[in-house]
Amino acid sequence: MLLTLAYRNLWRNQRRTLLTLSAMVVSAALLILALGVFSGMFKDMLASATEQYYGHLVLAQPGYHLRRDLFASLPAELVDLPALRDAPEISGRSPRLRSFGLLSRRDTSQPVELLGIIPELEQQVTSLQHELTAGRYPAAEDLNAALIGQGLAHKLKVQPGDELVFVTQAADGSIGNDLLVVSGIFATGDSRHDNNLVLAPLPWLQQVLVQPGRIHEVAMRVNDPMNAAQVASRLTPLLPDHLKLLDWGILLPEMREVIAAYDVSRMIIVTILYLATGLGILNTFFMSVMERTREFGILMAQGMRPWAIRGLVLLETLLLGSIALTVGLLCGALMTLYMQQVGIDLAGYITPVTYAGGTILPRLHAVFEPGNFAVPAGMLLLVSLFAGFLPANRAARLNPVAAVRED
Amino acid sequence: MALIELHNVSKIYRLGSQSVSALSELSLTFEAGEFAVLAGPSGSGKTTALNLIGCLDRPTSGQVIVNDMNLGTASSRQLADFRLQHIGFIFQSYNLIPVLTAAENAEFTLMLQKIPKAPRRERVRRLFAELGIDGLEERRPADLSGGQQQRVAIARAMAGNPRVILADEPTANLDSHAAEELLELMRRLNREQGTTFVFSSHDDRVISQARRVIRLEDGCLAGDTGHDR
Repeated sequence: MLLTLAYRNLWRNQRRTLLTLSAMVVSAALLILALGVFSGMFKDMLASATEQYYGHLVLAQPGYHLRRDLFASLPAELVDLPALRDAPEISGRSPRLRSFGLLSRRDTSQPVELLGIIPELEQQVTSLQHELTAGRYPAAEDLNAALIGQGLAHKLKVQPGDELVFVTQAADGSIGNDLLVVSGIFATGDSRHDNNLVLAPLPWLQQVLVQPGRIHEVAMRVNDPMNAAQVASRLTPLLPDHLKLLDWGILLPEMREVIAAYDVSRMIIVTILYLATGLGILNTFFMSVMERTREFGILMAQGMRPWAIRGLVLLETLLLGSIALTVGLLCGALMTLYMQQVGIDLAGYITPVTYAGGTILPRLHAVFEPGNFAVPAGMLLLVSLFAGFLPANRAARLNPVAAVRED
Repeated sequence: MALIELHNVSKIYRLGSQSVSALSELSLTFEAGEFAVLAGPSGSGKTTALNLIGCLDRPTSGQVIVNDMNLGTASSRQLADFRLQHIGFIFQSYNLIPVLTAAENAEFTLMLQKIPKAPRRERVRRLFAELGIDGLEERRPADLSGGQQQRVAIARAMAGNPRVILADEPTANLDSHAAEELLELMRRLNREQGTTFVFSSHDDRVISQARRVIRLEDGCLAGDTGHDR
């Protein structure tokens, strides 16, 4: 019956309750949408950094990610280490050999980073195959095919089918050089990759560097990128001591900081928005309690204890919060779904921005993340209860004699 | 042993910097089953006396003992529990909860007493039949006449089987016919169920219906007739 009373009390002043409810629903729904869009932006950034180049996990010699030492090579068989092969969290493993050198076409040369890869394995880890603007991704049977960035192609004035010369230092001290044929051109929006990165077949680069059967790293993709650090921690004890398994948070510390800062800013945004909402709730319930002073006196005269009076008002705020939460979550989910499926393309207005190792793409699209629903939902209920506490306390502290006399 | 005892009870209210004496050295006793009226003009202390007997207020000095409990030394929680178990209130303006139906208004006390749903429904059904308001259970107070609302208020006061029912000017908002009916009803409940009724009034027609009349003037006892009847 208390629940019935609380629910009916909510609707005594329908207009006021609906206005407060609307404010709560709109704030919750917009917050969910905004957080979904933020998450989408950061997911894009993380994907641009990890899924276009780094991978989520990298197995290499200790310090290799800092020094990129040509001689810090490993046997290519490491890609099939049982610990990696059998890990359910890992969905792709790609062996890579890395070289830095000059790429030339006629009288133009550019410094480049060249990754030797096995195409079908690399495509399980990174997604440059989805960023092609011309040509095709190198195939397994291609001996010297190269996938190069759009900026680099522009500087060297090459198109698919054109030949290039790659010159670098080989592991035996000689000058390694050979011909490459452009098979495809990619554009990620990240200038560092688009202007410098070249992918070529692993056996070709092993031959150029005189590093037969050797690789520098195994790049891996995991099912949940946010869980990469935990996967690395779990697998590290199962790996040989001379190897280091790094997650993207270590490879890209600035990206990790950006995401951590996002978590903090999400709480700040939620707090600011709900502070305003909370004041609205507070006003509504103060009015409601003041209008019902005599009734509270009557309930006290009937023997209702002060804590029960407090509980009744808190129950009303909690009910209002729950209704707002249900409708707000639904509206927020629908708007997020729309932004996930359709989104807004801003390519005509802004260009991609590289920031903290990732690329902010010129598009607004949202992703579903439990935290983007749980935080606004939990906070809305907390704010409702907190905003209801002051009026509830006032009602509980009423003097029954004075309350009964109140007009 | 008397059911209600007031020993030298004084009540002083503070209104800003002024002190107003509402009751002064009042001593009274009520036996179980009495049907008594506190009579007197406005400001004579009738409502204050009812509030003290009903544990809604505490005396400034003196002792109020109801059903062997000294209300001056009880905690707020004990007073709330005492009201719940032993006191029923009827107010001048009925003061029903507008969002509850008539039956729910009467049931509320039983709900606070943690009586299960089925027996409390049955109790309210019988009370409504007894009070002649059966059929009005599902109506909201706004859909009832003043007399009907006051009967629902009586049902609410009676629902918890209290030892004492206190009524503050219960007929003040009723026409003479409805007031007479209400008084007859209260008298019947007092006679048949033995419930003690103490009510206040300044209306001589109502006062004349009481078996005992306690007259108050300026917070002091000015007369007590019919005590031994």
